[in-house]
Amino acid sequence: MGAMNGWTFIRLINALRQVSLSISSQDILDAETCLARYPEIPPKQILRSLFIHRPQDTGVFETVWRIVVGCSEFLNSEVSKDTSVKKDLENNNSPGIGGQGTGRGTGGISLTNSGDILDSAKISRMISLSRIEELVGSEQEFEDVVKKILTDLDYFTWINSFDLAYQRGSLSEDDWILHHNARATIINEIQQQILTVQVRHYNSWEPVVRQHWLYKSLSLLSEEEKELVKSSIKKWTRKLALKQGARWKSSKKGTIDIAQIIRQSVQWDGHFFKLYFRHKIPQVPELVVLCDVSNSMASFVEFLIYVVTCFRERIRKVRILFFIDSIWDVTEFVWNEELTEVKQEIKSWGHKVSSGFSDYGAVFKELAEKKLQGISSQAVLVILGDGKNNYHQAQAEYLAQIAEKVRKVFWLNPLEKNEWSEPDNTMKDYQIYCSKVYRCRTARDLQIIVQDVF
Amino acid sequence: MQSSPLELARKLDEEGYLIDPVTATTLFLSLALDKPCLIEGPAGVGKTQLALALARAEKRRLIRLQCYEGLDLSKALYDWNYAKQLLRLQLAKTEEWDEIKFDLFSEEFLLSRPLLEAILSSEPVLLLIDELDKSDEEFESFLLELLAERQVSIPELGTISSKTKPIVILTSNNSRDFSDALRRRCIHIYLTYPSLDREISILRAHAPELADSLVRDVCEFVAKVRKLPLQKLPSVSETIDYARALKALQLEELNYANLLGTLSVLLKYPKDIAKLEERLKKWETESRQSKDNQ
Repeated sequence: MGAMNGWTFIRLINALRQVSLSISSQDILDAETCLARYPEIPPKQILRSLFIHRPQDTGVFETVWRIVVGCSEFLNSEVSKDTSVKKDLENNNSPGIGGQGTGRGTGGISLTNSGDILDSAKISRMISLSRIEELVGSEQEFEDVVKKILTDLDYFTWINSFDLAYQRGSLSEDDWILHHNARATIINEIQQQILTVQVRHYNSWEPVVRQHWLYKSLSLLSEEEKELVKSSIKKWTRKLALKQGARWKSSKKGTIDIAQIIRQSVQWDGHFFKLYFRHKIPQVPELVVLCDVSNSMASFVEFLIYVVTCFRERIRKVRILFFIDSIWDVTEFVWNEELTEVKQEIKSWGHKVSSGFSDYGAVFKELAEKKLQGISSQAVLVILGDGKNNYHQAQAEYLAQIAEKVRKVFWLNPLEKNEWSEPDNTMKDYQIYCSKVYRCRTARDLQIIVQDVF
Repeated sequence: MQSSPLELARKLDEEGYLIDPVTATTLFLSLALDKPCLIEGPAGVGKTQLALALARAEKRRLIRLQCYEGLDLSKALYDWNYAKQLLRLQLAKTEEWDEIKFDLFSEEFLLSRPLLEAILSSEPVLLLIDELDKSDEEFESFLLELLAERQVSIPELGTISSKTKPIVILTSNNSRDFSDALRRRCIHIYLTYPSLDREISILRAHAPELADSLVRDVCEFVAKVRKLPLQKLPSVSETIDYARALKALQLEELNYANLLGTLSVLLKYPKDIAKLEERLKKWETESRQSKDNQ
């Protein structure tokens, strides 16, 4: 087997398969050949080359490798670049700007040469392992453990001081970027450690799977993972978006309508003088998207809107309505602007117009009384909301009224199913009037919704 | 065939392609295992260049297939030379049908397109299938046989397998996801923008006429620009163009104040340029402040 212990090898493959990497027996055979033939190449590089078939799997491979093989060289050069900033964290200084000006842009060389290297090993020494074990042992959620460890490290005071410095303008753009990289390194390191402990504690790979971007709650994704989800959404929708409806309609442009031409040519004794064209009419006639944009929901709204924009060619007419306790028609706005700006707008609008607590009853009432006459009876209504009504009246009769008028009502709920029946949640009242209710918490859920709903 | 990743990297270096060690190892393993290599990454990071350099380093003839939507087998694999077949039939009016019916569908009347050419070639070749993501899914499924067994099936002739085992390189801009079947058969390389040091050496190799200080300034500037949320990030070739453009303007070093107007060499979308111009003002004041401090 060469440079690698056979037992470790098997454990590694087993773990990778559990966290949804597909490794064929051919891959394993190739890996064995290479390990035996090239003992001078580090086994990790060989296995990484042979087992990773798509770029997004790199992260999970690193995690698993670290847990199974536990090498100290887990951090690749990209993450461990910006080291001197972390010194600030340890000393808890006010942001030191002096020494960092030299390493602008990419850091790396000048920073590491300056001598005050604080590599990932040092961070891991800062994190107390027994504390993680204690937190994991008390069966706490992953995100809670991360938060508690960060609080222990005084992380939040540290980032606050940087935020303030940046707002004051006393921190240059380069240092700001360096600082952000440092943040990412620290959080990454802590997450890795917690995962290691969790895997050991539960004796299963389940915790790692839960942190996989496809199965993670959409509201907890990091920026890179968000990009990944978005590009995946684009791919999922592409195929469907090309699939047009089955019905044809004659028009001035489109493909040539032979049947029509022949039909017309009969009256001219087989000669034809005019070409006819036809095109397919989009299958989904009208889509009304109703999104709860109260604080807890913002991140889910972003992805749903993204899905809808990907589908715009298939849908004849789209209306996007945001609500908290009253409705706001944002169709024009969302269609023309970039999504990041939309998020800003939601916030400012939320402060101006509403109390900040969602009231589904009032919203359905408003929709039924004011907007319903403008909506086609063929329309599909997609509601995104957690159903938490803050003890307002449910007023489900209005949803019933709406459901009768439109063709279908889909409800996407980002909460887990067992949370739907909590006392302040009105999901159970509304559920009966919906054509179908989906859990919409992770990218995987979105994938299912994309296939089912659209 | 090289004996180690380092040697492969050195050979590629001689051909003017600077490769980073991790990529070199992966590429080396794909050559060692005789497996196709799928290179993914954003536009302009040198995916095609890597294949071209590899062909030169391995002293193999390059056969290139550019994929596009609607590419079908008659353009990628083979076609029958109908005109020649007709001529043959006209000349053969006197012969018996039994005699000519076999050789009408023989290799003489076969027009070989890039894929078949790579399979039939008697000298070792490198087959580059460029931008596979642009092709249709049917074409992708067809490729599976070629990738795994290095053979193709033509209904009239049967299966033709390759004599010299071509090296196969596939590139993709990631505009569409491939099936697991295709990914499983390939070794995967993800190329991304080069690090600062590597980009500086690339610029030195490709544009030796530029001053060192200018090269360094430009690379640092581009690395900074790549961190901004732009629609299309500047690629390596655009960095080279940009450095040359500054040289043409007879600038010895990069100064944020006099860059306005040159940015369209680097960025290709008006929105991106506007965004960068806004940032430039900020960077300019910052660099002035830091100079004052010194």
